[in-house]
Amino acid sequence: MLCSDDKTTSHFVPLRSPSRNMSLLIKLWIGMFFLFTIILPMTATATDRAKMINCDVHHGTCTQKLQDMDIIFDISPKPVKAMTDLKFTITLTGKQGASEPFIDLGMPGMEMGPNRVFLKSNGKGIYSGTGIIVRCPSGKRIWKATVTVPDKGSVEFIFDVIY
Amino acid sequence: MSSIETLYLTFLTTGFIVGFGHCIGMCGPIVVSFSLNLKTKGLMVPNLLYHAGRITTYALLGGVMGATGAFTRVTTGIGSLQKGAMIFAGLIIILMGLGMSGWMPLGKIFGDYYRPEGIIARSFRKLSGIQSTAAFLPLGLVLGLLPCGPVYTALIAAAGLGMETQSTFNAVLAGMGLMAMFGIGTVPSLLMVARLSGMGWLRSRNIIYKIGSILMIGVGIYFLIKGFRY
Repeated sequence: MLCSDDKTTSHFVPLRSPSRNMSLLIKLWIGMFFLFTIILPMTATATDRAKMINCDVHHGTCTQKLQDMDIIFDISPKPVKAMTDLKFTITLTGKQGASEPFIDLGMPGMEMGPNRVFLKSNGKGIYSGTGIIVRCPSGKRIWKATVTVPDKGSVEFIFDVIY
Repeated sequence: MSSIETLYLTFLTTGFIVGFGHCIGMCGPIVVSFSLNLKTKGLMVPNLLYHAGRITTYALLGGVMGATGAFTRVTTGIGSLQKGAMIFAGLIIILMGLGMSGWMPLGKIFGDYYRPEGIIARSFRKLSGIQSTAAFLPLGLVLGLLPCGPVYTALIAAAGLGMETQSTFNAVLAGMGLMAMFGIGTVPSLLMVARLSGMGWLRSRNIIYKIGSILMIGVGIYFLIKGFRY
């Protein structure tokens, strides 16, 4: 009886032929592919996700400092839901630049494509505009709004939305 | 370069970048399933037909967005269709996995009442063993409706473009063009996945086939759960 599973050969077969190595590599690749795309994202705990959040946008405004100014961030209506028209409001205090700020919406660690909210001045450092937070079928609900003030820099507000 | 052309280029690039990140995770399992299921046939034509179908659906949705300029209204309208597409994708992947593994012959599923010439049996057989090249175009058309974050983002841009365009006809064309560009951008990554998973020598190995079947069934169940929860 032959030890090798290859019935056509009876001669000595090396322990690891190049094709077996390749087969192992492909198995590994398939395993890693599903591990990183399906299994690991599902195992991220609610605590891990909650740690990223720095803004409770459902219950009020959020404030961050950028150089010598405060940036107050708000979304309405509340609670903030995905796939609905939302009003984004930014209030800048302190010395401001000439250009209007804008907001880029995305998910932390996941490329979602360019989704920019252009803001218009309402006077007294208040800027607002409408935008939409889309729903990610993966079920992840944490979103990131990067507020950019031209010539000053940008800050990130991380919050969860309701699907 | 006009603003429309800039947007086209932006979303072509977005599709390409998103393809290698997001799409491999979400649409990759579907493409892998198809590739593993195409036992002996060439991969390129069926895959291109699938992507042509998917891009056509994207373009049609882009046209609607361009014409209406109302993202939320349209997405609310097609919500149940998208849910259905996700469940359909889950079912088809499970059936392909079952069909490929050979573990569950049709007779066992349909019990003593199984009739090979019956409509259900024929449909099941077709779904579980999709190997007809032409079938990949309608599959792409249906699965182009799968809910996907980056697709939604591109649709928001298509709706915005529609609002900026003067005539409805031009708005439809602009929306269609933008979504087509986005779809084309996603093709290289998914073709790469299909190519890797469909290597002839890989498909000839029984053990890989069995592993592939289990993974397909698992992914199908994942799609089903996500579909029902959506």
